[in-house]
Amino acid sequence: MELAIETNGLKKYFDDIHAVDGIDLKIPKGSLFGVLGPNGAGKTTTIRMLTTVLYPTSGDAKVLGFDIKKETNEIQKRIGVCPQDLVMYDRLTARENIHLIAQMHGMAKMDYKERTDELLGKMNLLDRADSIIKNFSGGMKRRLNVLMAVVHEPELLFFDEPTAGLDPQARRVVWDFIKDFQEKESTILLITHSMEEADDLSDELVIIDYGKIIAQGSPEELKGKLGEGDIIEFKVKATEERSEIIQRAQKLDFVKWGKSVGKHRVVLNALDGLRRISEIMDAVEVKMDDMKVRKNTLEDVFIDLTGRRLRD
Amino acid sequence: MNVHRLWYLTLKNFKTMVRDKAQLAWLLGYPLIFVLLYRFAFEEGVFALMAPAILIAGPTILIMQLSTHFAEEKEFGTLQRLVTTPASRSIILLSGLLAQLIVGIIQIVIFLALILILGAEVASYAYIFYLFLIPFLVTFSSLGFGLLLASIVKNSGSAGGIAWFIILPLQFLGGVVTNPPLLGFLPTSLAVESLRSVMTDGIVSFEIVGLRLIYLLIWGLVASLIGILFFQRKTAIL
Repeated sequence: MELAIETNGLKKYFDDIHAVDGIDLKIPKGSLFGVLGPNGAGKTTTIRMLTTVLYPTSGDAKVLGFDIKKETNEIQKRIGVCPQDLVMYDRLTARENIHLIAQMHGMAKMDYKERTDELLGKMNLLDRADSIIKNFSGGMKRRLNVLMAVVHEPELLFFDEPTAGLDPQARRVVWDFIKDFQEKESTILLITHSMEEADDLSDELVIIDYGKIIAQGSPEELKGKLGEGDIIEFKVKATEERSEIIQRAQKLDFVKWGKSVGKHRVVLNALDGLRRISEIMDAVEVKMDDMKVRKNTLEDVFIDLTGRRLRD
Repeated sequence: MNVHRLWYLTLKNFKTMVRDKAQLAWLLGYPLIFVLLYRFAFEEGVFALMAPAILIAGPTILIMQLSTHFAEEKEFGTLQRLVTTPASRSIILLSGLLAQLIVGIIQIVIFLALILILGAEVASYAYIFYLFLIPFLVTFSSLGFGLLLASIVKNSGSAGGIAWFIILPLQFLGGVVTNPPLLGFLPTSLAVESLRSVMTDGIVSFEIVGLRLIYLLIWGLVASLIGILFFQRKTAIL
């Protein structure tokens, strides 16, 4: 298996803060690989090391076969980066912003002119191509941010929260665009804290927390580890009661596990939970407010591993 | 060095500057207001005597313009985005300097034209080249100071404020408001004294003008070199 990214014990410390604390990744070429984790987990710092912006404290990494410490220029020629922030020149037009990145990658004028029009069309920005972007909406800038990363058709693409702040319709446009790109045999590293995005797009993913990988696999594998049960989530008023509520629920043989989440919520995993909800209600002996019954999500995987929500 | 990348980045820097109405108004309005205020505050004879100082005060403002430009690139993440492309840090840096140099040259031309129109006298128009060269050498030093400042500040707001702690001493101690200058070794002092010799006395001898210009060039080289080294170190991958 040919690897696009390989890291061994990659670490980045900022004084006492261990932003990335020994990450080992093996990302196959041509895959869409997700990195999921809460804010501050070390996702962006990892990307910044792999895109040659930050130098690691220790550990090694190869991107497309090139060392991130010694062969930065070779890496820069082959990658595209869509940063988390909307990084573009406000007083250039959308077209000029895309052209600038193409020019930095040494593309021929004829090639990048044609490609820019094609890309702007795909993201529904062609009619505003020659407008100064200062007055663009956040969503338009977010889509332009993505286009600036892909204009030169890189072998490896880094998307850091590419749909943050987008409405569902615009998010779907960006997701389709990312999937299209993968079909052209590019490797994509997608950093997100949206479980839905990671689940929908990734072939394989890692979950990072406090700078370490805490789980790895395909979305189905990870969700499968929680079992076949349904997730039952509800709110209780008294926080101190939750451990007792969980204990009582777990006496039922079809309840596999239970966790306290946030200040007032309880999450249970129960086989055939929807049908047996009344038995659970009887067992816990408290009023279950704002109850939801659903299938496993990656968020539940994260809750199972850490006892916290992704956005806590 | 990739000349195409340098050209495209310089063009980008220049475009972003002139498309900002406030910045454009400042770039063109500053020389106009500065010269007009001097002209109406002093009699014609005094204005003529002050003309070399006015011409040198102009390029010192580039310290603020350049440091603000690079601080903005750091602050808004555009520098980091460029760093992930094959554009080298040297080219990114040089493109910023070149764009400001073009602005500096435009400002020198405006200053020079206004000063001459409003009554400053030149001993001999055979030496008009010096009237351009000397402020240009000050521009060179100013860009070095600006880069040095850009490497230490965290944002463009600080750059704009702190720049005056360099600009004002350079102006007030360097002969822009006093004759002779209070500190003769400053680049502004060397420039004002040289320019006064050329404009008022028509002297361009090596001892009086040439030597000062060599010192001025050294100032420019040293300031730019330290500025480049500092900026590269501060924005290097850490």
